[in-house]
Amino acid sequence: MRSKNVVYLILILGLLSVYNLIFAQDAPEVSEKGKEVYEESCAHCHGTEGRGDGSAAENLLPRPRDFTRGLYKIRSTESGQLPTDQDLFDIITEGMPGSSMPGWEASLSANDRWEVVAYIKTFYDGFKESETPPRQISLEGKIPYSEESVEIGKGLYTQFACFECHGQVGRGDGTSAPTLQDEWGFQSWPANLAQGWNFRGGNDIDDIYKRFIGGIAGSAMPMFEDPAFGLTIEQSIRYNELDNKVEMTQAEEEEYNQLDEKMGNAFEILDLMAEGSANEEQKQSYATAMKTFYEKSWHLANYVKSLSSEKRPEPAIGKNVLRSQYTEADLPQIMDAAWDTLDSSYFPLVGQIIIEPRQFNPTIDSVNAKSFYNDTEVAFLFTWDDRTNNTEVEENEDTGKTFEDAIAIQFPVKIPKGPTAEKPYFLWGGRKAVYLWQWKASATDKITELTAKGINNAEEQEVQGNIEAKGEYTDGQYRLWVKRTLKTDDTKDLQLEPGVFVPIAFSAWDGANGDVGTKRVISSWYSFVLEPVPSSRRFIYPPLVALLSFGLLVGLREFVRQRNT
Amino acid sequence: MKTKMLTCLILLLACGFGLFVFADSHEKEEDMNKLVFSKEKYKTTAVSNGGKISGVVKFDGEVPEMKKLEITKDKAVCGVTDKFDEALVVGEGNVLKNTIVYLMDISQGKDFDKEAKPELDQKNCRFNPHVQIIPVGTALTVLNNDKATHNVHIFGTSKNNTSVNKQQTKNRKKMRLTGAKGAEGPIEVKCDIHGWMKAWVAYVPHPYFAVTNEKGEFTLEDVPPGDYKLGYWHEACGTNNKEPVKVTVAAGGEVKQDFTLKLKESK
Repeated sequence: MRSKNVVYLILILGLLSVYNLIFAQDAPEVSEKGKEVYEESCAHCHGTEGRGDGSAAENLLPRPRDFTRGLYKIRSTESGQLPTDQDLFDIITEGMPGSSMPGWEASLSANDRWEVVAYIKTFYDGFKESETPPRQISLEGKIPYSEESVEIGKGLYTQFACFECHGQVGRGDGTSAPTLQDEWGFQSWPANLAQGWNFRGGNDIDDIYKRFIGGIAGSAMPMFEDPAFGLTIEQSIRYNELDNKVEMTQAEEEEYNQLDEKMGNAFEILDLMAEGSANEEQKQSYATAMKTFYEKSWHLANYVKSLSSEKRPEPAIGKNVLRSQYTEADLPQIMDAAWDTLDSSYFPLVGQIIIEPRQFNPTIDSVNAKSFYNDTEVAFLFTWDDRTNNTEVEENEDTGKTFEDAIAIQFPVKIPKGPTAEKPYFLWGGRKAVYLWQWKASATDKITELTAKGINNAEEQEVQGNIEAKGEYTDGQYRLWVKRTLKTDDTKDLQLEPGVFVPIAFSAWDGANGDVGTKRVISSWYSFVLEPVPSSRRFIYPPLVALLSFGLLVGLREFVRQRNT
Repeated sequence: MKTKMLTCLILLLACGFGLFVFADSHEKEEDMNKLVFSKEKYKTTAVSNGGKISGVVKFDGEVPEMKKLEITKDKAVCGVTDKFDEALVVGEGNVLKNTIVYLMDISQGKDFDKEAKPELDQKNCRFNPHVQIIPVGTALTVLNNDKATHNVHIFGTSKNNTSVNKQQTKNRKKMRLTGAKGAEGPIEVKCDIHGWMKAWVAYVPHPYFAVTNEKGEFTLEDVPPGDYKLGYWHEACGTNNKEPVKVTVAAGGEVKQDFTLKLKESK
């Protein structure tokens, strides 16, 4: 009996091992620690199987990366190459600005982060099978940042067709922007180059250059190729110039054809190189052309760098608080140059995620504001970037439903006395009411005054019309000018006087991002103040005191001298 | 006792087989929208007295009106011609264009037509052809016949085929792309700059592939005599990977095999 049991046992064990052979042959060697950390910290967004389909994924845009296709956006490696381990480690450590991916430096040890790198690589076979390390982008021949380089880069920006998606001045408002999707079919907004602090892979010139050369895998951003390959920078610019001419002289036409032919030959060599069938001479001319291409890319990187400040501007608190400047002249109109004399105050905005429907994926980064006032009136200039100008509700099969762009500027009805006094609830008030200026993109010179006691509890004021407004949309930016008297007869309005700090807050709607109603971007309370007029007495008293002191000292000296003699 | 042991063994084997089949079908579930390629490496041999498989692919169901695409930019170039969503092109008599019909399990046969130079044309911001097959290892020549910038974005689907996304400005009339490293597809091709521009390419390991024409017709010629599984792929109708049609080709014979396709169930 016993011997038979043993036979059964051996049989079963044998079969089990056969199953193991069949089913376990593909199982990669996983790091247990990496798996544990991944499932604890990463899987909620990226999914337990690394498909970018965790429980939170649906609410995120950009979507969490799907690791199973080996497409990584931020790499130090050439187009079509996998990232290096260091690339993956850096992203985990630093996070991706402008997306939901946080940096994990504070919450995961370096060792844990390396374990996660090893683990996420198991989601894609390509890592296992690549024998040679991925080719890294060379930073050789870097052209230092300078005004001249920026100027050349600006010229190349058009030729490289960056504007198609990123817009004429780079605010991510190109005509292709609304329809861009990634390879998973999710909407993918082009970067606003004027907000470098939101660049996913960093804002250093080297980072920008790497995105050009390597592309952003899985997104609409192509790898760069020189559109005027084989031409020098001067020739490229000349070619573009001639290309845009309506009519060319015979000499110009000959010049154009020559350049065109040179370019055509260079492109042919580019293809031969890719196919590995170029001869020595062709390899030589390819190397020369590539050198010029890299130079062009550095100029372009310098230009992109010039479009935004190094870091996110400081928010409008403390010394950056919005100060309305007194002027004796008439208050400037919307496009007046006087506005350029003032610094902007920066009001960061975040998605409204307190009340349904929420906005988890905000597209408006911030509002900037400037202000002037005189004895009777105050004028504001608000600017904010929005990639599209939406003036109505639209239903589009491909891009979904879009709404109207709008902004609301919020003040308390009564200014709380003293810095510790309670302000109304920042989200359109509550027990204490707020006073609002609402502007919509469909009626550009109209402000509607509202009184609100909650985000869903706003009423248009009965008395309207003591506010002038003018709004414009150009190159991915709204510019809204608002003017009002300091005092009004309406008790529901805010009354203004110099030297008093007034709470101010914003709500904004990007219709193309589905913003409508409570789905919007918001700010908390900030302050603005009508900067008190420096008293004219400062020109009388200080000199007078100085004069008197001087007289007194002279008198004293005389007194001492006389007593001594 | 012996019978008991035998029963046990059979049971265990059956369980194992069940598991194996399950795992196999599970794997296929993911590739339902792809072409099936033989695991054996394809061998080129001289084919004499080969047979022919031909037929017509038809569409079964209410034919929706072709959606006219909205031209959102570069209207001077792109707006010259009307463009339609080509996911489902049905001709008179319900014939279905752009269906790939192919032999799934062939491992040896004729060589590719060496003269063929696959091209993807971009004219008035439309890709032509909408669906094409490319021998693995043959370059795809992409033409830009527009005074506009395009970007040719071939989606990444596997380690054989990582994403390719190359800009092609109006300066570059012609460019060659080497494509996938192994058999792969069909793969979506897109121009992101003109979001409506879409096409499909399939990198194939052997020449027994055809794409149906305007009349829904396909022909596979010089097929070595034998038994084969005949498969199809269509952008909107999916594949018959689960139940391929079995055909027997006799020497010098001709097999007629028509297909009737329905829209695939949307998830």
